Amino acid sequence: MFVGLVASTLSAQTAQKAEISPQRKQAIDSLALEKVRDLSKYISIIGNKKTPYSEATRVMDRAEELFIPGSEMGVSSLTSKEVNYYKVRKYFERLMALNYDRVNIKWYDIHYISDLERQPDGRYVGVVTIYQRFEGESDDGLKYKDTTKKDITIYVERKKTQIAGRTIEFWDVLLGDIRVTETSA
Amino acid sequence: MRLSRFILPVLLLFNFHVFAQLGDDMEDETKFYAQTKQVNQFFRRFNGEENEKGDRYYPDDKQYRNNKLRKKYIGMLFDGSNANFSNDLKVQFAKDVLDKDKPGVLDFHAPGWTAEVQTVFNIAGKDQNVTLFMELEPDHLGYKWVISHMYSDIFSTYFKRDTTRIGQFLHPMSHELMFMNLRKAFLSVDSVAQFASKHFTPDYLTLFLYEVKKGNMKFKYVSDVKFHFFQIDGWYFELADFNRPGYNTGWLISNLAKISTDKDKEALRKFIYHETP
Repeated sequence: MFVGLVASTLSAQTAQKAEISPQRKQAIDSLALEKVRDLSKYISIIGNKKTPYSEATRVMDRAEELFIPGSEMGVSSLTSKEVNYYKVRKYFERLMALNYDRVNIKWYDIHYISDLERQPDGRYVGVVTIYQRFEGESDDGLKYKDTTKKDITIYVERKKTQIAGRTIEFWDVLLGDIRVTETSA
Repeated sequence: MRLSRFILPVLLLFNFHVFAQLGDDMEDETKFYAQTKQVNQFFRRFNGEENEKGDRYYPDDKQYRNNKLRKKYIGMLFDGSNANFSNDLKVQFAKDVLDKDKPGVLDFHAPGWTAEVQTVFNIAGKDQNVTLFMELEPDHLGYKWVISHMYSDIFSTYFKRDTTRIGQFLHPMSHELMFMNLRKAFLSVDSVAQFASKHFTPDYLTLFLYEVKKGNMKFKYVSDVKFHFFQIDGWYFELADFNRPGYNTGWLISNLAKISTDKDKEALRKFIYHETP
């Protein structure tokens, strides 16, 4: 029993230290960035006032597929410490319903990708940071603009699929909770 | 050694990189490059584990934990607006951290760092501040953040007592009367804490879990986060997020203290956790 316990403790320690090779990490980072870029693109389409409702709804469906179920956006502003939490779908719907006649969403050409850490269930988790500039304008001259930092959770998992009778292993990336902070830039 | 000697070369590196690829929003983007955007980036910059673009260095890379690189980064990891810690103290800290024989590096998975999370809970219709102290704990195949301590004024007021004066007590022969005088002890709820041992310290986390489980405390939001580090031998520093204009932004060292003895360390730890010394 003692030997069994030592063995299981050792294997747990080894598992906690199991690291992804630098080459693999680079490939996963690229995949994560691809998903983040997809999200950025979808947000720009949903926020665009010229996008027809049916198209925006379809894009919201695509955007939702990037996330693990239950993902939330935590949004705060410079004027208050309070954070409002929305399910991602609700966040997209609010973005679509914003009362501006023209909306311009621009993404800064900068990102930061954290290390990947293993969580108790064996999946890896990381955070990608990106920055967004939002400008809204109404016909009556009302203007609003802000710059937000978006810290996006990414989950990385090794999955298996059957293709023509062969089992293929691959790394999959899904997005999770996003913290949205207004910056003073 | 002046800190500007650390900071300037790094900003120049950022400027060079950004000039190369940006147009109209150059100023803003330069700021974002300089910003320590994640706690993860603070670790990497402190340890000298990434280049100026944020690309990671690995142990096999020549520049990994390079002392010159670390020297450049460490100067820009302090909150420049804080006059509470002197330039001399920062230089002394940098000297210890960059010691060639025994460099001080931060380890994400090692003990010796704690998150202090300010939260707001609704209790009986009123918003109340609750501080949660969190630590990383190994579990099964990986790690997770767990609550190690909790503090809130809503609980602490119930345990305030003056142990210097002779207050109310149960006399030393109470046991012969089957402690019947406990009835009188519990008549006044205000003085009941006087009957607890002088060595007693309240465990707020237990109370907190009880109240949440009973449905008496409803989580609202996280209002602020900072970190306490004891990983560098002989030093304590605090890490906070600075969201403000300029280049000295993001996760920066907001407090720094030299701790000479284990006694100093323990006193500081108790102060952070609001434990009575």
